[in-house]
Amino acid sequence: MSSKESILSRIRSHTGTRYEQPEITLDAIHYEDKTGQFSESLKAAGGAAVVLQAGEDINELIRKHFPDAKRIASNLSEITCATFDPDSVADPRELNNTDLAIVEGCFGVAENGAVWITQQVKHKALYFISTGLVILINKEDLVNNMHEAYQRVEGTDYKYGFFVSGPSKTADIEQALVFGAHGPMNVLVILR
Amino acid sequence: MSTKHSIAAARFIANRKQEAWHDETLWMVRAKRDKMSHSLPEWERLRELACDIKMYSNSHLDTLLEEFEKNAIANGAIVHWAKDAKEHNEIVEKILQQHNAHTLIKSKSMLTEECGMNEYLFSKGYDIVESDLGERILQWMHLHPSHIVMPAIHIKRQEVGEMMERVLGTEKGNSDPTYLTHAVRKNMREKFLTADVAMTGANFAVASTGEIVVCTNEGNADMGTSFPKVHIATFGMEKIVPNQEALGVFTRLLARSGTGQPITTYTSHYRKPEDGGEFHLIIVDNGRSDILAKPDHIRTLNCIRCGECMNTCPVYRRTGGYSYTYFIPGPIGINLGMLKNPEEYSDNVSACSLCLSCSNVCPVKIDLGEQIYRWRQDLDKIGKASSEKKVMSGGMKFLMERPALFNTALKFAPLVNKLPRFMIYNGLNAWGKGRELPTFAKESFNDMWKKNKIQ
Repeated sequence: MSSKESILSRIRSHTGTRYEQPEITLDAIHYEDKTGQFSESLKAAGGAAVVLQAGEDINELIRKHFPDAKRIASNLSEITCATFDPDSVADPRELNNTDLAIVEGCFGVAENGAVWITQQVKHKALYFISTGLVILINKEDLVNNMHEAYQRVEGTDYKYGFFVSGPSKTADIEQALVFGAHGPMNVLVILR
Repeated sequence: MSTKHSIAAARFIANRKQEAWHDETLWMVRAKRDKMSHSLPEWERLRELACDIKMYSNSHLDTLLEEFEKNAIANGAIVHWAKDAKEHNEIVEKILQQHNAHTLIKSKSMLTEECGMNEYLFSKGYDIVESDLGERILQWMHLHPSHIVMPAIHIKRQEVGEMMERVLGTEKGNSDPTYLTHAVRKNMREKFLTADVAMTGANFAVASTGEIVVCTNEGNADMGTSFPKVHIATFGMEKIVPNQEALGVFTRLLARSGTGQPITTYTSHYRKPEDGGEFHLIIVDNGRSDILAKPDHIRTLNCIRCGECMNTCPVYRRTGGYSYTYFIPGPIGINLGMLKNPEEYSDNVSACSLCLSCSNVCPVKIDLGEQIYRWRQDLDKIGKASSEKKVMSGGMKFLMERPALFNTALKFAPLVNKLPRFMIYNGLNAWGKGRELPTFAKESFNDMWKKNKIQ
């Protein structure tokens, strides 16, 4: 008998009561001002959110937030401040020493400041290897909570997708919070 | 009466300052959890749902695991099944061999601890690099985790600093957490870029999509899987959830319970292999299917490894993770150890005050304290009851069944107040260690009642 068969047969013979699948009904939290809540949640997670104002130039806004960034990666056509297209490199290791990556997210979650991103770049390393990360989302693309978030994710196809809330962080040394454990040290979400 | 737990706890407690810090720090994490849970009016409903979903999925593992496998294969993944730790480790080794790999970069996984995988692969000549900062520190110090979410919580910054001076050549005497973390960041960058194969655990495996979900704050799982062409993800079969709708419930509970964050920084969904790469999934039993046959203990399979039961436990906070003899400490570890091998791990069941705080905060409603109580009732059956306690409770029973003798004994009890200390606080009275006996009243309740003194 294969391991699979032997595991499944043990499961079948040991399973007693079969409990019913619950219906997931609940009165989940929602916010009058989703943008305000999203921004507050993201700030608490160490990131920042800004709303692009009418007439404001997105590239200028990015440069203002990251004046020292020299090596800037983006495959988005609206991002003219990028210095290279990350999809043009053959090996993800070549993305090391990127100062800033500008990527697109699908939507944000007000209750925790997370943004859902599905891989839209050749190398997913880009999302983690860069020192700074700018995520662009449409300002109407905000949901209240994770239940609504997964309703939006359900049925979509992706190779790799992730929720990200703020910069990479750790508190493994004496519970002292430090940003930039391995991934981005700064995360800015632009609602446009 | 000393259990291995109480002996090891005495060593931890000997450093009063460190013990107090450990206690206060974990309580601070627990308080953060309270703040988070109180901010959601639906919190208790979420716990209820999480428990119900787990009770459903763990009682339908046969169908859900097959559904998961079917979808994972359709996604292009390669699925393996491991009956036990040995088979698990051999599967990993075989994948490494197939790819002529030497270095494995790992994100934190309690399952690989459970399987003793690192030791096994090291003995075969492979290099395993832990990428979670806490785990990396422990690896450098040749230690094991003392907490499942905050693995290096028992280590002081000065110790980390001194170790890093030797290993990474950091500045002498500098133990600033930011400085040290960024020194590791630099060192790890090179490891990430040069590893041959990446390995992660999984917090959730979604049956309806065949994907796995990994939650980290550091992004180490994501960095680790971004360069090698091969990714091995391993998980205990109770990590299965039916669908993404269920993830909506669990992702709201996990970090709020464990660290007091509304969500972990990264909640990553791995569905398909890298282009030209391989994505291996290992479904592990290693005793889990046996738990299914124990209805009194079945809820331990609900566990999402948030670590909250450790943070809230008064015994864990004051005695540290190394006081327990099972590799997972705290209330959930006491139970999992007993399920693994009651003869070997029974020393831990006394490490509980039965306050039930763990049961009351557990996000998936495991009856942790109640189960520990049940194990204690069974100790005599497996020949692990303390002989000293058996003599005492035998004596108590004798006395309680003889009211006349009991009342006479009570009459003379106040004499104990006047006995010299050495007669009361000695080796025969284990309860007198670190405790002061209350003063016996001059008159018993019975006598007062008879004299109508009780209103």
